Amino acid sequence: MKSKQISNAAVYSVQAIVVTAFAAAVAMGSPETRQLIRNELTGSSYVPRVTVTRETPLTIEPLYNEPDVVSDEDLAAVLDKIQPRFWSKGDPTKPLPGLKPNYVEHALRTWWIKAKFEDPEVMSGVALKDYLVDHGKWLTAWAGSTRKTAESLIEDTPDGVSINWGKEEGASVHHDHWLACLTEAGITLDEPVFTPSSRKSVADVLQEALRDFRLDETEIEWSAMAFGFWIAPQKEWMTRSGRTVSFDMLAERLMRGHKRFGVCSGTHRVYSLMVLIRLDDDYHILSPETRELAMDHLRSVRDLITASQFEDGHWPSNWAEGADAITKPADDPLYKKVIATGHHLEWLAIAPKELHPPRELILKASAWVIKTTIEQTDKDIGERYTFFSHVGNALALWRHTHPADFWMKWESNRPAVADAASVGMKNQ
Amino acid sequence: MSTVIEEPPTESLPESRVHDPDISVLTDKVPESLRSPRALAGIVLVLGLVYAFFCSRPIWHTDVWGHLSYGRYIWETQSLPRTEPLLPFAKGMPFIDAPWLSQLIGLAIVSAPRLQLAGLQGLFAILITCCSGMLAWRTYRETRNGWFSLLSLAAFLAIGSIPLTVLRPQLAGLACFIFLLTRLARRTNSARDWVVVPVTFAFWANLHSSFMVGLGLLGCFCLGRAIDVLRRTGSLRAALSDVRAKRLFLLSELAATAVLVNPYTVRLYVESWRISRNENLEDLTEWYPLTFRDSQGQLFVAAAVLLAIVYRLSPRRVRTWELMTLVGFGLATMWSTRMIVWWAPVAALTLAQHTFAIWRAWSHSPLVPAAAPRTGKWTFVTLGLVWIFFMISPFGIAVIHGKHSDTSRSLSSFTPRFAVEYLTKHPPQGPVFNTYEWGDYLQWAGPKGIQLFVNSHAHLIPRDVWLAYMQVIEQRSGWEETLDRYGINTIVVDLANRESLIKKLKEDDKWQSPPAERDGQVIFTRKKPILSGPPKIEATKATDVQTEEINPKPEAH
Repeated sequence: MKSKQISNAAVYSVQAIVVTAFAAAVAMGSPETRQLIRNELTGSSYVPRVTVTRETPLTIEPLYNEPDVVSDEDLAAVLDKIQPRFWSKGDPTKPLPGLKPNYVEHALRTWWIKAKFEDPEVMSGVALKDYLVDHGKWLTAWAGSTRKTAESLIEDTPDGVSINWGKEEGASVHHDHWLACLTEAGITLDEPVFTPSSRKSVADVLQEALRDFRLDETEIEWSAMAFGFWIAPQKEWMTRSGRTVSFDMLAERLMRGHKRFGVCSGTHRVYSLMVLIRLDDDYHILSPETRELAMDHLRSVRDLITASQFEDGHWPSNWAEGADAITKPADDPLYKKVIATGHHLEWLAIAPKELHPPRELILKASAWVIKTTIEQTDKDIGERYTFFSHVGNALALWRHTHPADFWMKWESNRPAVADAASVGMKNQ
Repeated sequence: MSTVIEEPPTESLPESRVHDPDISVLTDKVPESLRSPRALAGIVLVLGLVYAFFCSRPIWHTDVWGHLSYGRYIWETQSLPRTEPLLPFAKGMPFIDAPWLSQLIGLAIVSAPRLQLAGLQGLFAILITCCSGMLAWRTYRETRNGWFSLLSLAAFLAIGSIPLTVLRPQLAGLACFIFLLTRLARRTNSARDWVVVPVTFAFWANLHSSFMVGLGLLGCFCLGRAIDVLRRTGSLRAALSDVRAKRLFLLSELAATAVLVNPYTVRLYVESWRISRNENLEDLTEWYPLTFRDSQGQLFVAAAVLLAIVYRLSPRRVRTWELMTLVGFGLATMWSTRMIVWWAPVAALTLAQHTFAIWRAWSHSPLVPAAAPRTGKWTFVTLGLVWIFFMISPFGIAVIHGKHSDTSRSLSSFTPRFAVEYLTKHPPQGPVFNTYEWGDYLQWAGPKGIQLFVNSHAHLIPRDVWLAYMQVIEQRSGWEETLDRYGINTIVVDLANRESLIKKLKEDDKWQSPPAERDGQVIFTRKKPILSGPPKIEATKATDVQTEEINPKPEAH
């Protein structure tokens, strides 16, 4: 049977229908759909940038000024212990050989970029910041190191810049810790970031972190904080996998599973959750239901630490066991006690009173941690700097200040204080 | 008024004529177009048996329940989910619910008080019978021989025997595929194709994402036709201007355009393409490459060898679309087992047609036999058979009498009915770790708001969560800690495949022992639940509680 001919008009009509239909479908589709099509056609994995409307990150102000928790003298004594003496002894223009980024990150989040010190061995906030954002500075500490090191701390990626983290020497230890610490320290979004081969900015690192975020990875504590400080009141964004992540999901993730899990005996999860709640106070990034769940969660933490504090005032690493932590004590080395106690005091300093354990427990905890810190030698502190840095920050927060503000004021007043002390002695 | 009936005038007829049958009585009064050949009744008889068999099959325990759960979500919210809505650990995952229409149809059927589970069984049987019937009828139209029609039917059911055990939206896609195949494989064109083919694709895109396979089939026919013409004429120009090839090309374009008639429009294309690349699917057996060690692989090889022999001997002209589809879908099947469902109908159809050609050549008969006589009698027999098979099936009994058979006979023996019963009586606190195969039924029939770990929509599960699932199910290093990290307080696993895991959980003193267990369904409950919410403990000083055991009462949130 002979087929009926198909006229050119019919052929052109079909082409017109097809082209119009597909063009309309693409044009009327969401930007996300158009991006997906582009990605499939080009083989890329581009994700639109999250709009960040601020140049400097949000901060959370401490809520209390409690000299009973820590006096000026004690705070000064603790802060004196945790100053970042990271300059090389031989050449104070170079960082200590093999200076770990993790130490610098902790120092920076404690002291902030604005910190300045009279002691020439102590790195200023700006120097700490430069060490983290400039590959060249990092290289001065790690070039020639005999230990196995990461190739660099900052790495170029096909569409941005990422921070090398993990167990390698010279890398940051935790995912997004670099970003969270710089954020807490008050970095600006346009701060240049020098990779081994290009100049990027903190904004690029932030975008990369938002894109590559995985809700179910082992640690999300620092990502949650950094994102909250930068993108609130925006509540959600899309990651490279196409998943939509919201602050509600971050809060739920921070509450997921047994409380013993998480970095520093699970205390960072608590701190990050508290940060999200505080941000929610002003920017409403959580749904009411999730906020209430988070508050309930923190109330349960309050009850657990209430039940698990030891007589001398320290909290053990297994605080999440509640009273069992006391009846079946863990064999904690000192630094683990410092971790638990220092970190709990830190989140409590930004928490509303209803989340506090009885006041005497806070006083006991601070007394223990102050005494313990002051008793440490510089060598001890140097080996456990990261944990003790939290103590300094926590105590400063309890005095409604920050370590840098307090210390710079303290240093400038020190001669007067010393004179006054000597006058007092004479009068006696 | 009275009527006087006059007796007709008696004619003097010969005695023999008086006793002759009345020809007008014996004349077939059924309109010509409704008459059927005897073979049709035979084919319908076999199809009736196929229908009866599949109608009595219990409903498989996996996909269908997940699809019904999504259908229920769509119905309750009156909207399509943008992200995965049922699994707590898959929150935020993009969800393109391509088979939304199948899900709603399934939901409507199972929710109809008169139909319930029998409705699903009926739907399953009708779909497979339709697929078989279309193939058989196409073969009959080509061969005019009922036996070879039955050969295509048998080959289809045999090759596709494993994927055809599961009721899922893919079956609707398969019906569309076979409808398209049988329509394209005809010798003649129909003007109705200009409407029928695009409309089929518009439905197909809303029933299942396998419309891509249909577009591939159209492409094979189009390209195949052009190659045929090229081979015959040696002229590329002739191939490109061939009316039939041009027609198929335009039909392909219109079909591709018709696919856009779906809630996701052009994005459906992208997602249908992306889903096959999802890493989680690599852990599922049906996405594995074909292996000759199992029955499916052996069936495939047997069919492929048979096809090779048949093609070698067949005097029938081999059309290029046959080779393209057989090789194309065959390679796809070797790449991923689940593609066998698309290869099966093509293999069955071509096998029957070429076997018939060999038989005709062997018996020195013309390749195209004369049309079989059609009578109204066979139409009635056929309709009678349809009615009988419908009437005696569980589906028919449910429709006609509203009676339903025992639930245990309607559900596969692997369906976690005990687990559902147990969890309904003892609502789980927090997330439940469950075997992948049971997630769908637990979602459908379990307590409302149950927080399951996974279901059979593996592509919607975040990679990290899926890896955690595999870690626990295969008891890889750290699996116990993973359960703690996810706050799992309840575990539902099957004895048949997870015996080793069950043994280890029984030895772990964190879990209640002995666990709840029946019919191979084992449910573990954590002795001291992990709570995300507040435990019910009084805040007391450490000194006061040193000797006091804190036993937090769980509180579900």
